[in-house]
Amino acid sequence: MAATGGIGRAVSGPALAHPVTLVRIAIVAALLLAWEALSQSGWLFRDVVPSLWKIGGALGDLLSSRDYWWHLGWTGFEVGAALLIGGLSGLLAGLVLGGSRFLGRAFEPFLYYLGPTPKIIFFPVMIMWFGVGPGSKIALGAISCFFPVVLSTAAGIRQIDLVLIRVGRSFRANAWQMALKVYLPAMRHPVINGLRLGLGIAIIGTLLAETKLSSRGIGFMIIQAYATFAMPRMYALLITLFVLAIGANALVGRLGGVGKRA
Amino acid sequence: MIANAAGKLPTVAPQTSESRALRAEGITKHYTTSEGTITAVDSVSLDVAPGEFLAVIGPSGCGKSTLFNIIGGLVDGYEGRVSVAGETVAGPHASIGMVFQEESTFPWRTVVENVAFPLEIARVSRAERLERARHFISLVGLEGFERRYPAELSGGMRQRVAIARTLAFEPKILLMDEPFAALDEQTRLLLGDKVLQIQQQLKQTTLLITHNITEAVQLADRILVMTYRPGRVKRFVKIDLPRPRSSEIVSSEAFGRYVAKIWSDLREEASRGMQDEETCKRQSGGDGA
Repeated sequence: MAATGGIGRAVSGPALAHPVTLVRIAIVAALLLAWEALSQSGWLFRDVVPSLWKIGGALGDLLSSRDYWWHLGWTGFEVGAALLIGGLSGLLAGLVLGGSRFLGRAFEPFLYYLGPTPKIIFFPVMIMWFGVGPGSKIALGAISCFFPVVLSTAAGIRQIDLVLIRVGRSFRANAWQMALKVYLPAMRHPVINGLRLGLGIAIIGTLLAETKLSSRGIGFMIIQAYATFAMPRMYALLITLFVLAIGANALVGRLGGVGKRA
Repeated sequence: MIANAAGKLPTVAPQTSESRALRAEGITKHYTTSEGTITAVDSVSLDVAPGEFLAVIGPSGCGKSTLFNIIGGLVDGYEGRVSVAGETVAGPHASIGMVFQEESTFPWRTVVENVAFPLEIARVSRAERLERARHFISLVGLEGFERRYPAELSGGMRQRVAIARTLAFEPKILLMDEPFAALDEQTRLLLGDKVLQIQQQLKQTTLLITHNITEAVQLADRILVMTYRPGRVKRFVKIDLPRPRSSEIVSSEAFGRYVAKIWSDLREEASRGMQDEETCKRQSGGDGA
């Protein structure tokens, strides 16, 4: 009886004490506890599962080092440039393919085949074309980002309600007004979704490239930490990356949420 | 109250030398499909006088919507000529405002932004277009809903937004394609009253496409009855019912006579359409598509 009463109070309490929130907190706590127990047990080789305190310490060192921010800056720049190049070219190509039935039917099968191919296989080619510096990373990220954006943009054009186009024309909107005030807003949901997927994939592509052959960026730092068996530092890097990916995704989602009521 | 509101309105149908606000002459339209050429509309001619309310009625498949799109300038490749006050129409015309059958509000715009859309296209300043949009919103009775999104409104309210949006374009001729088709009977009757009220108030030349006899008799000065495929003019019927009318007229005896008369014209066409459809379905293997 007492236990039931306790749950009842939790339900009616503030949002923080909502049962779902409590369960989530419990899951995280259990995972951390299990991690710590495993690391203390000594069953595994030294630092394969480092203690939480060690990881915390490494995280502190990392965030207070200028080195980390310098590498982060490079990764951020590479991902941003990849999103810009891949996203814009994907958007333009999607508009063309979605707008023309003929071109769409001619080109889209190739896009569907290439889409799921791991883009890292193009990395050697990118190194030859763009060098070992940030250029090849941006190129790989941009290629990765291009596919989801082009496919969702092309699909977005096709699902526009045709009557809205007739409405725009009946009010004598010119081509530019049609594009800005009818087509783009009508297809914003699929386009934003494509950009969101594209961002995730651009991050993957860029970081993967950094781990392969580079001298800067978070991917490079992770591989370097691994090579020197600095496990707490490697885990700390993974945590920062995790947080950054969530933040970037939320940012794109926020942009897409401007007109979410519709 | 109506007279007061009318005093503030911009003039909608100025007098012109041409006694016909809208004229269509010998409109014929063929469509090519995989099964051959279909004649959707065959030499249809009609005239609408300034301030007149003409309803075009016919069974499904009589080319009503084709006629609507041709007069609205959204379809080309037809024979014949459409003119507004004597001037030939090619493409969407500034004097013609269209209200569509389908759900046509922009879901990403609020009510006031929807209604202001044609003014935005015409590059009217922001302050002025909001003021004018508000005026037309109150005309269709949606004050207080300016900031709502279409998804938050009922189907009937959304269609009123679409009507207000077209009125904000201030067309000399209002062209409507079954604007109440998706609504229930009660809403349809009440919205019909609203449209009639506005039409009388603005002295708006109106052409309404419909398949609903009650709606046509309730609203129109004259009804054009069309034949089933190919769509031809079967008859013009003048409706001599007193104005102002409201949906209460539906129960009057004179109303019933008009409905019966038009139904006797229409029944033949509609049953021809039904038979035709059944034959089509049988030939296509009865897949029920």
